[in-house]
Amino acid sequence: MLFNVTHITKYKYDAPVSYGHNMATLRPRESMGQELLDYKIAITPEPSETSERLDFFGNYITRFSMQTEHEELKVKTQSRVKRDYGRYRDQFFSPACKNITMDQALATLNSTEPEILEAKQFTLESTFIRKTDKGILEYAQKSFQGNRSVFEASFELMQRIYTDFDFVSGFTTISTPINEVMQEKKGVCQDFAQIAIACIRSMGLPAKYISGYIETLPPPGEEKLVGADASHAWFAIFIPGFGWVDFDPTNNQIPLDQHIVVGWGRDYYDVPPLKGVVYGSGTSKLKVSVDIARME
Amino acid sequence: MPTTKTNWLESYRTYQGYDELYTSAAEVKDYWKKLFAQFEELGVNELTARQKDMDWLLSENGVTYNVYNDPKGMHRPWNLNLVPFLLHQNEWKTVKAGLRQRAELLNHILKDIYGERSLIKKGVVPHEVIYGHKGFLRQCSGIPQVTQKYLSIYAADLARGTDGRLWVVNDRTEAPSGMGYTLENRSTTSRILPGIYSKMNVTRLSGFYQELNQMLEDASPTKKEHPNIVILTPGSHNETYFEHAYLASFLGYPLVQGNDLVVRDGFLWMKSLQGLKQIDVVLRRVDDAFADPLELREDSHLGVAGLLDVVRRKNVSIINPVGSGVMENPGLIPFMPGVARYFLDEDLILPQIASWWCGQEKEKKYVLENLSKLVIKQIDSTNRESIHFGEFLNSGELDQLKQKIAQRPYRFVAQERISFSTAPNLIEEHLEPRNLVTRAFCIASGNDYAVMPGGLVRVAPDRETIRVSNQRGGTSKDFWVLADDPVKEDKIRLWQRRSSLSISGLNDLPSLTAENLYWAGRYVGRVLINARFLRMTLGQLAMIQNRNQEPNSDKLRILLKTVTHLTGTYPGFAKKAKEGPQAIEHPYAEMLSVIKDKDRVGSLAHTINMFGNAYYAIRNLWSSDMWRVFEDIQKVWKSFQDEERPSMTGILRVLNRLITRLIAFMGLIEESIMIKQGLLLYFIGLQLEQSMLTITKCRSLLTIKYEDATEYDLLEYLLTSHESLNIYRYSYRSYIQLAPVLNLVLLDLEYPRSLTYMINRLQKDIVRLPQSEKDNHLTSYQKPVFEAFSKLRLAESNTLAATSESGSYIRQDLDTLLEELSNLLYKTSQAITSTYFNHTDEQNQLIVQTFPL
Repeated sequence: MLFNVTHITKYKYDAPVSYGHNMATLRPRESMGQELLDYKIAITPEPSETSERLDFFGNYITRFSMQTEHEELKVKTQSRVKRDYGRYRDQFFSPACKNITMDQALATLNSTEPEILEAKQFTLESTFIRKTDKGILEYAQKSFQGNRSVFEASFELMQRIYTDFDFVSGFTTISTPINEVMQEKKGVCQDFAQIAIACIRSMGLPAKYISGYIETLPPPGEEKLVGADASHAWFAIFIPGFGWVDFDPTNNQIPLDQHIVVGWGRDYYDVPPLKGVVYGSGTSKLKVSVDIARME
Repeated sequence: MPTTKTNWLESYRTYQGYDELYTSAAEVKDYWKKLFAQFEELGVNELTARQKDMDWLLSENGVTYNVYNDPKGMHRPWNLNLVPFLLHQNEWKTVKAGLRQRAELLNHILKDIYGERSLIKKGVVPHEVIYGHKGFLRQCSGIPQVTQKYLSIYAADLARGTDGRLWVVNDRTEAPSGMGYTLENRSTTSRILPGIYSKMNVTRLSGFYQELNQMLEDASPTKKEHPNIVILTPGSHNETYFEHAYLASFLGYPLVQGNDLVVRDGFLWMKSLQGLKQIDVVLRRVDDAFADPLELREDSHLGVAGLLDVVRRKNVSIINPVGSGVMENPGLIPFMPGVARYFLDEDLILPQIASWWCGQEKEKKYVLENLSKLVIKQIDSTNRESIHFGEFLNSGELDQLKQKIAQRPYRFVAQERISFSTAPNLIEEHLEPRNLVTRAFCIASGNDYAVMPGGLVRVAPDRETIRVSNQRGGTSKDFWVLADDPVKEDKIRLWQRRSSLSISGLNDLPSLTAENLYWAGRYVGRVLINARFLRMTLGQLAMIQNRNQEPNSDKLRILLKTVTHLTGTYPGFAKKAKEGPQAIEHPYAEMLSVIKDKDRVGSLAHTINMFGNAYYAIRNLWSSDMWRVFEDIQKVWKSFQDEERPSMTGILRVLNRLITRLIAFMGLIEESIMIKQGLLLYFIGLQLEQSMLTITKCRSLLTIKYEDATEYDLLEYLLTSHESLNIYRYSYRSYIQLAPVLNLVLLDLEYPRSLTYMINRLQKDIVRLPQSEKDNHLTSYQKPVFEAFSKLRLAESNTLAATSESGSYIRQDLDTLLEELSNLLYKTSQAITSTYFNHTDEQNQLIVQTFPL
């Protein structure tokens, strides 16, 4: 499937900002079953400088600085992405993936194969997912058992989060502690992804956070509204001996072609779409719109 | 007087384990014998007297150490024990080789983990030891380094183990502290014990500090003859701030805070009075995570947003590089022998403290079984809250710790609990053994490391304490590496200062320093004028009436009101309080509050506090006399603050002492700091403040006409508080009258205490500011001063003294003039602030997030 993704972020400051430094993780990265055909970023007012680099995890980071006084910052990206991830779906349900038990997985993790070593860092604590408590562990243990298939356990974990947690926007912020989200069982896609990751890590398995977009379809018979799409987040688990498998606990599905990957890391902290330090005396209002147009 | 000859050696009793004095055959080492022989010559009285001299000298020089959350407050005096720590050069040679090797290894590790990560890939170091350490900053991965060595400064904590060798107990790589204190310890000890110092053949330190200077110069990304180097401090509340200021003034580099620096166009700049100066090298004392709020801790106000990117572009060098904190990592210790073989194919020269990393099954099992015998640390947190001594834990606490370890084993390391060696410390009149730890320092020097022949020795506070840390109190020692032959006196080789950023140029003055100097001037002026006025008012209050009653005279009422106007402690005597008792009904209680209540904005106590803060922030510019007088002021004030019910005469005495010391202090400032070092800003602040307060005083006392007798007294009060009564009598030889008083206090062009004189001086001073227009148009801050000066020159005392029409009680012309002047000076102050100290732009996060680290 081919998509044109338009992502616009606007900051309106209530007092002029004299200068600022910003970082964006907006350019969709290379990823299994995904190709980036075209990408443009437009920033207004024009930054005094812009540069791009790859970060530790291989994500694209755009860094730009504003040195002229401004009251509004607008970042618009347009990405043309080809998704062909759906064709891997059957592999996930194949015995090669499904038959791997947690005991086997944990044993395989002891190897020092480059791929395993690379994945193992995702078993450790991270900036937002740390000091997880018993609540997380017990929640995970209900799905993960030594002799059970890791894939099935993950699938079930995803389903349980989907059922047990309420999607409530505004209840949590990006800095709401993970243990609190688990207690309240409310949040948004970031929270659900991070809860799942915390659970998987409490079992000693690697899990990463994926930031991206999801195409939303209008109810039957209605026109799709421009800008109704959204930034999205889900998680992936590493099944040693097989590889990474994505799960979307917000929508209770294995992401296929309607999910577009932008970047990944250990948690939200590693891949915020936009962050920055601005110098000025006021506060700002944020407005984000994402539009995903299916081309074919 | 009885003779005081003591046999130190015989009375010295070691109490446990290994003492530095003895060889393994229990004989006293020759060099300690030699030192003790010298001590015997001095005798106990002399020795204790020298210790007192030492304490005095340190406090004279303002050597302090800040302890967070310390009830004793900030700026705790640094303790140095008279008895140095001795090591013979033969033993030092091995230690030195070991330190160089370890510095090299850590350098390799640093380069590897932020680059190829072959240590992890090849399994030499488990990935958790690095990836699981919060000091591993993924943002720094792949950042190029322009210096020859990745690790420029390395410090190791050493202690003598049970086998008689010096062991490494901690590695310090992030922003090691202690080099400044070491230098101060040496200079103090060598001054207090000059004879012994020269007889013991002590290796000199100065060469090492030249290495430090050279290393900083060589670190410049573009090879310049005059790289711009700054020292970045978290500020005056940091525990080792004294040292930052000390090193800055010793090395001759500006001491800056994050706010002084800014990133633009891919370069790092210092905001100076003249404008932006490009910076090549930063010796930073700000921790890794706080260095760049854009990429690291968003909530940090100690760093510079965008700094890492400047490093990435190779436009600045940070010493040590951001990210080096990951090697302060006890988890690395068990793997160091492997690392040494991997990189250098060598064995470790220096032994290390036995450590078990719990990320390995076998080790974890051992640790869990032997927990009560071990010391447990986290790999990335070596502060004392996260160190557990198994022996002191009860079974519940042990279980809790076991659970924690089992949950995230890779985060924990256990170390053997051993008692390190002791060495003699002078405690009152005796030498007693105390545990000690030595911090040794290495500096990158070309393709090698230079090792300081000495170090910072820290000593446990009492016999029972085995762990040594400055945060816990305790004391320090000078560390002497002894040669067999006399050491040649170093020629005072003050190296050529090659940085073009000199701390002595007004143009290059960091704007934060400039601002502090400006406020230093304003506060010192405010304290002085207010103290004088309060003294005079209190004196009148005591003389005229019962101080606990409402004043029965106009003059007293006016004086008290003026106190409120001058200090800005409204409502006070000037306005009706909305509720509660009226100040005017209890004048003494209100006066006491205006003097003593440090939480009341505008009170004398509050102003003294602000004065202290402004001065402490420019600590690096002080002379030692200034420090002494400053301390004296603080002491006088502190003991007064502690008094519950000071008597009237007691208060007057304190105010007298405060005023005399302030004047001494002001004199010292003027001769200790050069105009181009920023004294100009101090003068501007001082003149502005004095002018503003003179205006307030005159407005409150003189603009309303009273009956003659009252008026006479008010004029006398004004002259007294203005320290001008004698001058008046001398100049006018007459009965005190308003017009001549106005001439003297406001309009005299020659008299240094007159407003016209002060504003004229202000006008001349601000012309010298870097951005002033010397020729044509006046700048925003020059205009109002010029206008104020002109208004004063055009004014005439007789007109000012007259009331507008007969029968009126208001001197309209005087009031209007004073009001205008007050507004003009306020404008000046605003304009200077926005031109030179523009820190008004707050640093904000684009998206506010709190950082759960």
